[in-house]
Amino acid sequence: MSNSFVELHARQRALALLDQGTTRELIGPFDNMISPHLEPQNIVPEADDGIVIMKGQLDGKDSVIIAIEGAFQGGGIGEVSGAKIVSALEHVLADNEAGHTEYPIIILDTGGVRLQEANYGLLSISEIHNMVIALKQYVPVIGLVPGRVGSFGGMSITNALLSYVIGTDKARIGLNGPEVIEQEAGVKEWDASDKNLIWNTLGTKQRQATGIIDEVVDDDVKAFRTAISAAINENKDSHRDQRGDFYLSLLDQLDPAKPLDIEGYDKLFKAVEVKEHHLAAAVSGSKPGTKSRGRNWFELLTGIKKAQSDVPTVLQAQAGGRQYIAIVPDENNRFPRVRHGEVGLQEGYTVASVVNDLIKADADKPADQKTPIVIVVDVPSQAYGYKEELIGIHMSLASAASAYARARQAGHKVVSFIPGDAVSGGFLAQGLQSNRLVALDDLDITIQAMSKASSARITQRTIAELEEATKHVPAMAYDIENYQKLGSLYNLIKGVKGYDSSDEAVKTVKKALDEAFKSLEGVKPDLSFRYTNDIAVEGVAGGRKATNKVRALMDAQWNK
Amino acid sequence: MEKLHFNYAATEKIAHPVHIGVVASGDLEVIMKPTTNSESTLDIVTGSDGFKEVWGNVLTRFFDRYPLLADFEINDFGATPGVVNLRLTQAMEALKNE
Repeated sequence: MSNSFVELHARQRALALLDQGTTRELIGPFDNMISPHLEPQNIVPEADDGIVIMKGQLDGKDSVIIAIEGAFQGGGIGEVSGAKIVSALEHVLADNEAGHTEYPIIILDTGGVRLQEANYGLLSISEIHNMVIALKQYVPVIGLVPGRVGSFGGMSITNALLSYVIGTDKARIGLNGPEVIEQEAGVKEWDASDKNLIWNTLGTKQRQATGIIDEVVDDDVKAFRTAISAAINENKDSHRDQRGDFYLSLLDQLDPAKPLDIEGYDKLFKAVEVKEHHLAAAVSGSKPGTKSRGRNWFELLTGIKKAQSDVPTVLQAQAGGRQYIAIVPDENNRFPRVRHGEVGLQEGYTVASVVNDLIKADADKPADQKTPIVIVVDVPSQAYGYKEELIGIHMSLASAASAYARARQAGHKVVSFIPGDAVSGGFLAQGLQSNRLVALDDLDITIQAMSKASSARITQRTIAELEEATKHVPAMAYDIENYQKLGSLYNLIKGVKGYDSSDEAVKTVKKALDEAFKSLEGVKPDLSFRYTNDIAVEGVAGGRKATNKVRALMDAQWNK
Repeated sequence: MEKLHFNYAATEKIAHPVHIGVVASGDLEVIMKPTTNSESTLDIVTGSDGFKEVWGNVLTRFFDRYPLLADFEINDFGATPGVVNLRLTQAMEALKNE
């Protein structure tokens, strides 16, 4: 008789995987660490905030299970739940660095960002990405997608960063859920009521055939234990975040103007001729590109007028000893879903190739001489489309996030300059892996996890109710000034707007960037600034107070 | 969402805290903690408004049979009275383990 793993809740899953009598839960339901952000929005909280952290042994090996409870708020990641995951992973990293081998195992059952704590969720998930990438230098980071919610949103970017992912045929993996795609791109792009199409596209059978999940096992506790042990013992790593050349070659061989069905994609997937891809620096062209704040500032900061690039949506160039990278709109792009500047398949992989090339070129330089990177952030979202999901856009975003994180961890100073929108998965890929966020104080900037229309639909509220919630919870707001109240920004530049181009404006921004880079001299290349600065710690209007409480309690309980 | 509070006279002390359930649709979590109070306190957060009387009936029946002296925390996401009673009974059974 088999013991179903899928049917279990998060705590039971963690207990079932670990050897009996070896387990200890950290920050559990008796520790009173509940989300402070849900009750003000009339939402019932859970005592563990939907995350179970369990230390123990798996087949005699020290392990830490991080289990997401999919039945509570769709497994969404908020401030407390995110901080529990990040602080646990940090301790696992510290233990491994100190020579104590310990294996992290993440059970994904999540829709991604908890939309009721939107910007906290995005910040936390980027911090999870950072830790997963750092940990992979020591141990494989194993992921499980047993199924019920499956793996979606920003946590699917996490999924693509993991060393080895194991699931059942009851799970689905994607970035944007079909309902959100239908909301953003219309029912013709994806009919969210067509359940067969959803399962055939996102289900693990298709995902395994096209490299998105490594192993599909029976829904059985023992099968999972066996598969995890094998992955650990054989040190398995599918390097899913470093397949840019394969996917960029695949995209070269795809005609996005034509419909693509599953059969057609499977054929294409098998026939890809892999070629190396490197993006040359942008040069001055004869006609102006599609207008955007990102393009405006890329051109102003690099001095390249009417910048042109072989990939029209990705501009890269070095100027004044710094590497600048922007994702920009292109009104006639062959991929319709990126025409407004969204981060699509090609954009994520191309950005990753630029950063990976830079890491390689600077590999022999000492840390303090590696080329600093400025990420010019103006991303209205990731691309919402059927083809994007079928091919696996979450892996493209993961490649970009991974490249920026590895660059930073290797010693490149990385500053994000935000003159435009910074939304959702687009921001996770293009911006949130920097340890200094510098933004313009411009109320035209949207900074969030999801558009109001989609967020209202998914959280089953009206837009009016959603807007009411944004007044009480700064993390729910859509503007840069509320974002600053979280403590996330290093600097909010006053008096300059997204479309400014005066010498004075450029001077002000350059000065702010110089100052941000200077502040990175001699500091650890981590993401801690966001929750250790005064605004975050004091938390007058939110800040990262709960994050810091979780971190302190994890420190106290870890080695007890 | 509505917050409810109840007190019940009770006599049987509990030795250790217990936790049962998840805040899933139609379900709830129940936490019982040992207390130094002379009566049981219940702090309930429920997603379904306007059911105070029903809660009172379910709890009165429970404490009539099992006068457990503890601090209760309950987070409820639309559980029926039958499910509430089931989780309370499961929590009580969990007290016997360990």
